[in-house]
Amino acid sequence: MLDLSAVEAFDSAGMAFLIEALQEAKAQEIDLRLVGVRPSVSDFFSLVGIERLLVPDKTAPKRNFVERLGDKAIPVIERVGAGKDLLLEAAQTLVDSSTGGRRSGKGRFFLELEHTGIGAIGIVGLIGFLLGLILAMQAWVQLKVFGADKYVADMVAVSITREIGPLMTAILVAARSGSSIAAQLGTMVINEEVDALRQMGINPVRYLVVPKVGALALATPCLAILFSTIAIFGGLLFGVFVVDLGWQVYIEATSDALQAGDILGSLLKSTVFGSLVAFVACSLGLNVKGGPVGVGKATTGAVVASIFLIIVFDAVFVLLLRVGA
Amino acid sequence: MRIFKRRPRIPKELLNRTPPTEELIRGIALETSFDGRTVLKGVDLSVLQGEVFVILGPSGCGKTTLLRHLSGMLPPTMGIVQLFGRDLYTLKGKELAEMRGRMGFSFQGGALLNSMSVLENVSLPLHESSRLAPARIERIAKLKLDMVGLLHAAQLSPSSLSGGMKKRAAIARAMALDPELIFFDEPSAGLDPITAVEVDNLILKLNKVFGITMVVVTHDIPSAFMIADRMIMLSEGRILARGTPDEIRENKDSKVQDFIHRALPAEEQRSGGLARFLKT
Repeated sequence: MLDLSAVEAFDSAGMAFLIEALQEAKAQEIDLRLVGVRPSVSDFFSLVGIERLLVPDKTAPKRNFVERLGDKAIPVIERVGAGKDLLLEAAQTLVDSSTGGRRSGKGRFFLELEHTGIGAIGIVGLIGFLLGLILAMQAWVQLKVFGADKYVADMVAVSITREIGPLMTAILVAARSGSSIAAQLGTMVINEEVDALRQMGINPVRYLVVPKVGALALATPCLAILFSTIAIFGGLLFGVFVVDLGWQVYIEATSDALQAGDILGSLLKSTVFGSLVAFVACSLGLNVKGGPVGVGKATTGAVVASIFLIIVFDAVFVLLLRVGA
Repeated sequence: MRIFKRRPRIPKELLNRTPPTEELIRGIALETSFDGRTVLKGVDLSVLQGEVFVILGPSGCGKTTLLRHLSGMLPPTMGIVQLFGRDLYTLKGKELAEMRGRMGFSFQGGALLNSMSVLENVSLPLHESSRLAPARIERIAKLKLDMVGLLHAAQLSPSSLSGGMKKRAAIARAMALDPELIFFDEPSAGLDPITAVEVDNLILKLNKVFGITMVVVTHDIPSAFMIADRMIMLSEGRILARGTPDEIRENKDSKVQDFIHRALPAEEQRSGGLARFLKT
C-alpha cells in the first residue's frame, strides 16, 4: 500500500521512480496498491500507459560472429551493387538516347565543370605550390649529404608528376566535389526532387549523374596538370634561391627527368580518379535513405570511399605501368 | 494548337465531353510490403476519365504508397496497375516516357528543383521532352504560371516561396506537358485553411476547364468532400468504403463515421493506465 494523499504533483522523475517501484513489486509478486491519489495526479496517471511500461525490456537475441559479420557486410555489398547498377545505367543512357533528357545536357555539363574545375583552381594551385616547396626541401636535405644537390629538380619533377600530383588532386577533388555531389543528390532524393524528375520523364541518371561524371573526368586531369606545374614551380623557386641551381639548369634537369609517358600516365590516372569520385558520390547520394542523417552519412561515405578507392586504383596503376612493364 | 510532336493536344472526346465512363486507371489486387511490414492488403480501384478521385485516409494507412503505385513510381509487390488500358509496369523506354508525358505529379513538398527559378522549373519538362523553341517554351511556362496565379513569382527561387506558392508552382509544373491526368500527394498538407481552399479551388478549376482527371491523396476531410467526384477511404491497407461523397457520408461503418467526424475510435481511447493500481 502506497499512500499518495500528500503528493500534489508528479514530475517525470517521480513517475519513473513509481514505475520502478511497481515493477519491483510485480517481480516479487507483491500486490502494491496506490491510495489517496489526488485528482490532479490521477489525470497524469491516466496519460501513462503503465501496462506498456511495466513489460521488462526484451533484449535482442545475441547474434553470433558470422551473423554480426553479415550485418556489417550486407550494407557494404548492397552499396557496391548500387554503384554497379548506376554504372550500367549511366553507360546505357549514353548509348540509348530515347531515355529522356534531350537538351540542356551541355549546359549542365559546363555548369558542373565550372563548379568542380574552375572553382578548385585556387586551392589546388596553393596546395601544389606548397607541396612542391616542401618536397624540394625534403629532397635537398637528403641529397646534399651525397653532394647530389642538382638532383632536387629530378626528384621533384618525377615524384610530383607520377604520384603526388594526380593523387593529391584526386583527394582534393573527393573532399571538395565528392562531398558536395553526395550532399546535393542526397538532399534532392529527400525532397522528392529525383522522383519528380523521373515523373517528368527525365532520367535522373542522365540528367544528374552523367554531366557530373563527365565534368569531373575532364576537370581532374586538368587540375592535376595545374597542380604538377605549380608544384614544379615551387620546387624551382627553392632550387634557384636556396640551392642556387640557376633557372636554366633546373628547367633543363626537369625536362630531362620527365618523359612523355609520365605525363600521359598522370593524365590517365587523374581521369580515372575523377570519374571514380563522381560515381561513388552519385551512387551514395542517389541511394540516401532516412532524412538528414542519411545525407550526412552519404557525404562522409562519399569522401572516405572515394579516397580509399583512389589509393587502391593508384596501387593497381603502379603495378601495371611500372612494376609490370 | 498542335505543338507536340507525338500526340495531338485537346483530344476530341474532351471537346464534347460525355459523362465520365471511360476507365483511365485500374488497380487490381494491389499488395505491398516493406521489410516484412504489409502496407497495402489487396486494394482494387478504378478511376474514370475526367473525375476528381480522392483517396482519403489517416496518416500511415498506405495512401501515398498507393499513389506511387498508380503513378508508376513504385511497382507494387503484387497486383497490376493499368493506365490508359496498358499494364504500367510492363512498359519500357519510349512507351513509358510517352505514358509519363500523359500524366503529371504534384508532390507533397512541391519537389521543385532548388537550383532553378520557378519559371525554369515549369519549363524543364518542356525543354526535356519537346522540340519547341526556347521562347515558345517560356511563353507556355508563363501561361501555366498565370493559371495558378504565380506569374509574378516566375523569377524567384523555390526556396523563397511560401508553402502555398510551392504547391501552386508544383501544380503548374505538373501541368506543363498538358497532361490528361494529374496525381496530387496531400495538396493541402501544411497549408492554412484559406490557402488550402485556394489549392482545392485550383484543382477543381483545372478539372472543370481542361477535363484533367485528378487523383488526390489527402487526410484533409473537408477538402476531400469538397473536391471529390468519387472517393475511397483507406484504413490499414484496405479499402474501408468507396463511393460518392454523399455515399461515404451515409456509410454506416463506425470506422468511417469516426474518421469523418474526427472521433477517436473507442478502443484507442486510453483506459487510464496507472489507474489500475488505484485502491478502490
